[in-house]
Amino acid sequence: MAGRRAVKRRSANTASGEERASPEAETAVLLPADCRMASQTALKETLLQAAEAQIVVLNGGEVERVDTAFLQLLMLFRRELETRGGSLKWHGVSEALAEGAALLGLTRILDLPAAALA
Amino acid sequence: MSAVDLTQFHKTFFEESQEGLDAMESALLALDSGSTDTELVHTIFRSAHSIKGGAATFGFVDVAAFTHVAESLLEEVRSGRRPVEPPLVDVLLRSVDCLRVMLRRSSAGQPVADAESEELRAELASLVSGQDEGVQPPPAESVSTSAGWRIDFAALPHLLQTGNDPLRLFRELQQLGQLDVIRAFIVDGAPATLAEVDPTLCYLGWELHLQGAASRSDLDAVFDWLDGDCVLEIHPLSTGGSAETENVSSSSPVATDPSRRDASPPGIVKVATDIPAAVRETPIAPAEGSSIRVDIDKIDALINMMGELVITQSMLSEIGENFQQSQLEVLREGLVQLERNTRELQESVMRIRMLPIASIFNRFPRLVRDLERKLGKQVKLELQGEHTELDKTVLEKIGDPLVHLVRNAIDHGLESPSRRKAVGKSETGTLKLNAYHEGSNIVVQISDDGAGLNRDAITAKALQNGLISSGQELSDAEVADLIFQPGFSTAAQATDLSGRGVGMDVVRRNVRDLGGSVSVRSVSGKGSTFTIALPLTLAIVDGLVTAVGGERYIVPLISIVESLRLKASDVRKVAGGGEVFHFRDAYLPIMRLHRSFACHEAVMDIERGIVVVVEEDGRRVGLLVDDLLGQQQAVVKSLEAHYRRVQGISGATILSDGSVALIVDVGGVVHMGRQSKAA
Repeated sequence: MAGRRAVKRRSANTASGEERASPEAETAVLLPADCRMASQTALKETLLQAAEAQIVVLNGGEVERVDTAFLQLLMLFRRELETRGGSLKWHGVSEALAEGAALLGLTRILDLPAAALA
Repeated sequence: MSAVDLTQFHKTFFEESQEGLDAMESALLALDSGSTDTELVHTIFRSAHSIKGGAATFGFVDVAAFTHVAESLLEEVRSGRRPVEPPLVDVLLRSVDCLRVMLRRSSAGQPVADAESEELRAELASLVSGQDEGVQPPPAESVSTSAGWRIDFAALPHLLQTGNDPLRLFRELQQLGQLDVIRAFIVDGAPATLAEVDPTLCYLGWELHLQGAASRSDLDAVFDWLDGDCVLEIHPLSTGGSAETENVSSSSPVATDPSRRDASPPGIVKVATDIPAAVRETPIAPAEGSSIRVDIDKIDALINMMGELVITQSMLSEIGENFQQSQLEVLREGLVQLERNTRELQESVMRIRMLPIASIFNRFPRLVRDLERKLGKQVKLELQGEHTELDKTVLEKIGDPLVHLVRNAIDHGLESPSRRKAVGKSETGTLKLNAYHEGSNIVVQISDDGAGLNRDAITAKALQNGLISSGQELSDAEVADLIFQPGFSTAAQATDLSGRGVGMDVVRRNVRDLGGSVSVRSVSGKGSTFTIALPLTLAIVDGLVTAVGGERYIVPLISIVESLRLKASDVRKVAGGGEVFHFRDAYLPIMRLHRSFACHEAVMDIERGIVVVVEEDGRRVGLLVDDLLGQQQAVVKSLEAHYRRVQGISGATILSDGSVALIVDVGGVVHMGRQSKAA
């Protein structure tokens, strides 16, 4: 799972031009396909690392399996980000992720895009 | 958290649940007859609890919900808040019946709950929590409510570690109706920072609204496995859910139509509930791939036997490798040992299929209790020989005939208390069931001390049905035999016990299909005894090997009365070409087997052949064979499966020299003899 997870750091002076430039550091995290209990410890470390950034972009497009532990981790991660003054953005939300979050009533709390519910 | 295929455990669950229900029933009957043993209540409670737990685990929600209500009622009994009274035992016995049906439907993949089960569940629910005493919450709390439920659910930290997952739980709730998450929150005491979070612990809580017709017990069934893992409060919703909701059921299919539960009118099932359960129960067909529980001792014996066989085999191989004439005696000893090992191994293997007849006998206390009440009779049931073991296949098929005989004995045999008193008998009739071994047979006897067979009524009915002609003199045995004729019933008035299209003829046919026989002995005013003789197993038959022409025929020992050599002068010719001979005060027809089975080069002279007298259902014939070759156990191979059905032959077997011998179906041969006599 760890091999499929990528943490990228970009800064305002990155000259890629592909992403919108941000005044602060922005981190992208690709969430693995199986996000259930067994992957939580590694995922928590990844998210802790990502929380250092001002903006964290989570890519949940490839998520196939979710459980309450995972959705709870995302919820606590968002709370952590907000406490630190950072913000969360979504880049890709799979159907499994959207359905799980909706079932637990966490869509708004996780700030998932409305389209994800469709 | 890899997904486990729970369906592999379903069969075990159903089997264990049936056993649990049997235990519940026995304990309830013991309570009903006045026992005050508190362990009985614990037994009933434990059985209900196990069924509920299993049903909830495997997703049989209706079964779990039903058992939950019954369990709640039992909890009140267990804690001494509710006394054991006949009406309570009644409703619990009906619950056992209902659960049997529900489990059978679950195993067949059919819809489980119906109007009858819902009605009974409501009845149980109305008894629970002393609602009939007005102490506890109003009925709306326990039975279905159209408005729905408010569920406050907060996980305790260890919830996820127990394998529970709220996500799965919410999916189950969705099946019950429209689920709205009003609020999801992090519970007090959760770590303040992500670094402190243990991802295996749960820190979440929810306020949920479930709208629809789900009953409280439906919800309880869903939350049953979270006992001790969460803080839970459930209250009825008076109006619809709040506007600030996250509706989660709109995009999800709702599998259960909540209106289904109350769909059919309850009146229809009333008729069925009046019929005692054991009677109503449809025969349990031997399910495909049915399993058997084997006592570990039997397996150990088998393994021991196997060890001995291996030793013998290696000894014989050693002799065989370098054989000298001087070792002949050792070789003989080895072969004797091999024969003993093989026989013991065979016995051990056959014992695996043997189960105690108690599993059938245990049905009867309930049946008798129900019939007593229904017919207003008093019956004392005595069971003997419950530990007698019988082949599983035979056991499965003998249940219904026995139920029929017991029912007949109570319905037709035993008199009403007033009638018994009038003839100087005790008001309580006695019904005895006894099972015992007799040679290679199992004998099951059902005897009552009732009025006995009514000879006049039977002959009158037989005359009316054209079974006998007027003026025909019949022996007691022949009169008794008439009751086994198809369509024969002397019941003056059809009760729901008789008139089910099942008569004594079916009993006899079923017993015959098992290779057994049924007979009746009756003394007017003293009672009747029905005796069923069954082979220990269907797979092996003890037989007498006979020679007819160049062929070998095996006559089952169970049917043989005697073998004798006749003189020509003993034989009388009768009209139509038949032959009879005098045997113990009766004339028996002679059947020349070579003629029946078209064998060539057989002994034609009756003085040179041997007559084997066989009996089936009280009728005897003499079979003429060339010679008797010996006694042998034959492993029965179906002729029908490999060739086709042949009248007078029940199967085939392979003899020690590799040749095939046919096994004589004595019932069929006797029938053929009667036909030819009639012709």
